[in-house]
Amino acid sequence: METLKEFFSFQDPSIIAVTVGAILLSSSSAVVGTFTFLKKKALVGDAVAHSVLPGICLAFILSGTKNPIYLIIGAFVTGWLSLVIIDHISKKSKLKEDTAIALILSVFFGIGILMLTNIQHSGNAAQTGLDSFLFGKAAALVGNDLIVFGIVAVVLIATVILFFKELKLMAFDQDYAEAIGLPVKGLELLLTSLTVLAVVTGIQAVGVVLMAAMLITPAAAARFWTNDTRVMTLLAAILGGFSGLSGAFVSYAAPAMPTGPWIVMIISALALTSFFVAPKRGIISRGMEQRKLQRMIMDENLLKELFHLGEKDNDLYKGRSVAEIIEERYFPEKTLRKSLNRLKRQGFLSKTNGDWHYTEAGKMKGQRVVKLHRLWELYLSEKMKIAPDHVHEDAETVEHIITPELEERLEKMFDRRATDPHDEQIPY
Amino acid sequence: MKIEAKDPVVEIHDLTVSYQKKPVLWNIDMTLPKGALIGVIGPNGAGKSTLIKSAMGLLPLASGYVRMFDQPLNKVRDKVSYVPQRESVDWDFPTSVLDVVLMGRYAKLGLIARPRKADKEMAINCLRKVGMEAFVNRQISQLSGGQQQRVFLARALAQEADLYFMDEPFAGVDAATEAAILAIMQEMTAQGKTVIVVHHDLQSAAEFFDWIVLLNMRLVASGPIDKVFNNKLLQETYGGKLTVLAEVGELVRRRQIPSREKY
Repeated sequence: METLKEFFSFQDPSIIAVTVGAILLSSSSAVVGTFTFLKKKALVGDAVAHSVLPGICLAFILSGTKNPIYLIIGAFVTGWLSLVIIDHISKKSKLKEDTAIALILSVFFGIGILMLTNIQHSGNAAQTGLDSFLFGKAAALVGNDLIVFGIVAVVLIATVILFFKELKLMAFDQDYAEAIGLPVKGLELLLTSLTVLAVVTGIQAVGVVLMAAMLITPAAAARFWTNDTRVMTLLAAILGGFSGLSGAFVSYAAPAMPTGPWIVMIISALALTSFFVAPKRGIISRGMEQRKLQRMIMDENLLKELFHLGEKDNDLYKGRSVAEIIEERYFPEKTLRKSLNRLKRQGFLSKTNGDWHYTEAGKMKGQRVVKLHRLWELYLSEKMKIAPDHVHEDAETVEHIITPELEERLEKMFDRRATDPHDEQIPY
Repeated sequence: MKIEAKDPVVEIHDLTVSYQKKPVLWNIDMTLPKGALIGVIGPNGAGKSTLIKSAMGLLPLASGYVRMFDQPLNKVRDKVSYVPQRESVDWDFPTSVLDVVLMGRYAKLGLIARPRKADKEMAINCLRKVGMEAFVNRQISQLSGGQQQRVFLARALAQEADLYFMDEPFAGVDAATEAAILAIMQEMTAQGKTVIVVHHDLQSAAEFFDWIVLLNMRLVASGPIDKVFNNKLLQETYGGKLTVLAEVGELVRRRQIPSREKY
């Protein structure tokens, strides 16, 4: 708790620097990653992330320093190379893209680890800290490094904003983009370069091993909350930025901890939460939607059975006991009682002396369900030539979903016919 | 049977297209007239979609060339519009109906520029034409098949082109949508625009089109409907695949021989 306060008081200027840096890096990769995600190229992001490692090591070997500019150039070269090779393999050979990705990812990462181990055993004093590229170290983001990586991150975000409409069209319908004469090759090159650069900057905070999560997870989480690409991109940036911030805090509170796994844990927790609680697309909301539907069907069926009972003894408003209803059609008693009470609360039923009977609104509703059922049976047997003894099951489902417009069309179609195929009255 | 158009908008010259070296269209050579509603008809696997995709420059040509308005396509792209097959995109993409139709304005806008108010009004106008103005802000994943097709048509209309290539616009749509789309196409051709439609239903083809292209890996016929839409030519298109042609194509693929020699 103390550390938390200390951290968020931002008294130490280096804390501000690290925090701003981490937020910027993670939100820029989230923004670029949104389009990788929308283009369904999540695994490509992973391959690039792993493939930048040999480039970083090579740049260090050649330059002998950890100057971020050299490292970025090195990472950019091998990251790019990996994409070109993946593209070539999947287009020109019999291997499919997933195989090509797996191959390139492991080969490049393998070479990278070999080089890194070599450097670490070379006794070169400048190399300390190079291994933080593996799992990330937000706290290492200071001074010159911060400025360079920060600029790249800002450039990334600005480019996405500028080319937003083109990137969106490319992700939605590339053939059309080409057909209307957009420079598709150039735009693909742009997105590829953005992906590679996002990886290159993000690894400072997250590390190459987990970088793919930083590209894809914020977008995946954001997708649950919105149906608008613009909002989704913004949300991904916020979620990514938040996880970056927490990574910076972890890095401050426990300097021995690698930042990457923490950032990834936090963004994954956010994604998982979205998966459950997001409105409409989330699991919980879908479950509730299903329950509501089940209840509606139960209520309508119950009102329908009361109508059937009423038809039998020519008294629609007569009170019925629970046992009487169950005898007409089996419902589990608990479910039935719940439904009865619910309908009473809604004003469709009332209860006198333990017996249940229709209100006027309840009768109308029950009658409509019966009418739709019989109209649909009529439709199936007359228009679709299905035998009358085969139409009941279908009508049981359809009676609950027919809209008022369809209802009107069905009524017109049969000219308000009096009886259904089983010679039962259709109540209008 | 091939009848050349008097006032050609599209000229396809000796076009051959291959998938992984296997030719799927052989030596297509024809001209198509201005202001006509043109149906491209043929059995499954005849290369109908391939023909219009390659005409739009979306597939590499093994040989031959395509000219529109007497120019190469790249010079006249602003006058040519394309409606891809409905299934070719992911309809769960996070975007609205209006945004999709606005894509039809992108070519006019150029890179980077945002859609202006005028573009939005144009897009809404096009949605009105296809009877979808009530769906402007609807999320595209909520659309039915027929509505998806109408949105694609509206997007093409928003391009304000003179020549339209449409890939199966009538596939899997309801009767109301079919009638609506046909009415729009007829209105377009009445204005002198040319509409080229890949179509798979012979029965309705006879009613819809004024010019028919019969295709089965090769050009069987191209001409006004009363001249080419007859039993003999239809039988030639649908009856009995040219098995030797298909087998040679397969041989070319297996041996990976380029379908045209370099020297």
